[in-house]
Amino acid sequence: MSSPNNGPSSLQIALMLASGLILLFLATGDAGAVTPKIPRLANGKPDFSGIWQTTSAADYDLEPHSNRKDAPPGAGIVEGHYLPYLPAALEQKKKNFAARDTLDPALKGYTLGVPRGIYYPEPFQIFQRKQDLTLVHQFGHSVRTIHTDETDHPKDPYDWWLGDSRGHWEGDTLVVDVKHFNDKTWFDRAGNYHSDALHVVEKWAFIDPNTVEYKATVEDPKVFSKPWNLSVILHRHREKDFQLIEDYRFTLDYDDAYPPKPNKP
Amino acid sequence: MTQINASRSALVSGLAISVMLTAAPSLHAADETKKPEPATKPLKLGGPGIEQERSFPKIVSGKWAGPKTADGQPDVQGHWSNTIANHNNFTDPQGGILNDPNPNRVAKGPREERAPSRVSDPADGQVPFQPWALEKVKDFQAHFHDPVKPEYIEPLARCAPGGIPKSLFWHGYEISQYPGYVLFQFNSGTRIIHLDGKSHLPDNIKLWNGDSRGHWEGNTLVVDVTNQNGKALFGRSGEFISENGHIQERYIFSNDGDRYTYEAVLTDPTVYTRPFTVTVPARKWTAKDQPNGWHFEVEPANYTGKVALKEPILDQYERVCAENNGGFGLVAAEEPKK
Repeated sequence: MSSPNNGPSSLQIALMLASGLILLFLATGDAGAVTPKIPRLANGKPDFSGIWQTTSAADYDLEPHSNRKDAPPGAGIVEGHYLPYLPAALEQKKKNFAARDTLDPALKGYTLGVPRGIYYPEPFQIFQRKQDLTLVHQFGHSVRTIHTDETDHPKDPYDWWLGDSRGHWEGDTLVVDVKHFNDKTWFDRAGNYHSDALHVVEKWAFIDPNTVEYKATVEDPKVFSKPWNLSVILHRHREKDFQLIEDYRFTLDYDDAYPPKPNKP
Repeated sequence: MTQINASRSALVSGLAISVMLTAAPSLHAADETKKPEPATKPLKLGGPGIEQERSFPKIVSGKWAGPKTADGQPDVQGHWSNTIANHNNFTDPQGGILNDPNPNRVAKGPREERAPSRVSDPADGQVPFQPWALEKVKDFQAHFHDPVKPEYIEPLARCAPGGIPKSLFWHGYEISQYPGYVLFQFNSGTRIIHLDGKSHLPDNIKLWNGDSRGHWEGNTLVVDVTNQNGKALFGRSGEFISENGHIQERYIFSNDGDRYTYEAVLTDPTVYTRPFTVTVPARKWTAKDQPNGWHFEVEPANYTGKVALKEPILDQYERVCAENNGGFGLVAAEEPKK
């Protein structure tokens, strides 16, 4: 510097201030990295489009359990650990558990229902528009629509495999009310089950752009003494060219009959 | 509405195969199998029934002047359905089921008074089968009403996906679009058309609906389909493609957004003597139309918003298995209607 005195020139002061501001900016940017930008639709709502799957072992048993011949050990995903079964329902659950090798609907390739389809260890893809989210589950290729268009459940009584899903936004959380279920699905391979009075309230929220926290409050006054909560983490599939592969496995029992083949001489 | 609700409640799991196989003739079968309309009866687009017209305009590929999605695709989202017939008969779509034991359901009148064959090339309207394959098709047709072997049961009747091209003439369906995708939600199976240009799945993976890669050329969605398992039949007339087959589809949309023409070239050196073309006319159904228990299975949604809607929101309820199938084509004896 060509300054005749030893003190800092105004240019030097300006440079110091500027570099200080840059440091401050970098520090702020760093802090911002804790909550990185999540994908959003044009209307500003979080965009869950993508292919998701849990790494949780929830589907073996929602409740805590030691290892089994057909399941790894797991701490469960239920708040408070244990499901609040009514006494008669607990007996039914025990019967389901004992016969799970044959009765688990998933073994037949049946549609898994809600919330099981979400934490079943196979991918599902979310297609999202302003007015709805369409979930295509690889398992059974079941399709579920969550309506986000200010519509409520239909008034008529219905019994559906996947229920009727109506969503709304609370900040960046998608809250989905699901009811009108049938009683043909289970919650897991361990025989945890519900009746057609099942009512599920889901909360979907990004933790970061590639991770979603999924929470569900489950109530069913015919089976449980009070509502209970579960939560799992869903991870985005980011493998190159990853895609769902159709899995209508319930057709495997008879599909040897097709297609026609030339007669053997 | 009543009819829709009744059939919806009959949506047994797509999957309850044993039930399906032992089911008594379904109440809904009547709806499915009613006799072909006499040619003199006027048909109406958007009217009741399955048959909506006997002839249709040809839509040609060209520019798209209609609305586009945010990512630049022609916006063709909504409810669609074919206009001429269901899958009773592939090459004589309004001709009823071949060898139907019920005389009331057999088409009367000259062939030219009914909609043309879905095979638009070759000109004779017939699938150019190799002799062994034609023999199999005839055998299926002879046993459709007497299914003494599992192979004589139309797989859709067991809740298998409709496959290609049958899904295009099996009930109404919904098309929705997303950046990189076109999604078809059929009553019996879902197709995800990938627009991102990635390669097909490895060729030993075989699927009811194949693996679809598409792109837009003006008003035309061009889709290449490979990886088929060849198990889905084209209808109750038994035509088929094998797992060696290749299908090149063109969905040609009219610029007013009201219609499209489906044209698919099917190639399979193990089943056919030459490539041939399938043509299926389709029409869009909107809130201006009345619900139709086959083409347009919707109900007004329970809208709770404060802003008045320009047109009502419609709900299309759960698609888990094909409805209307129980018992039909599964039982040897069905009482002719008196």
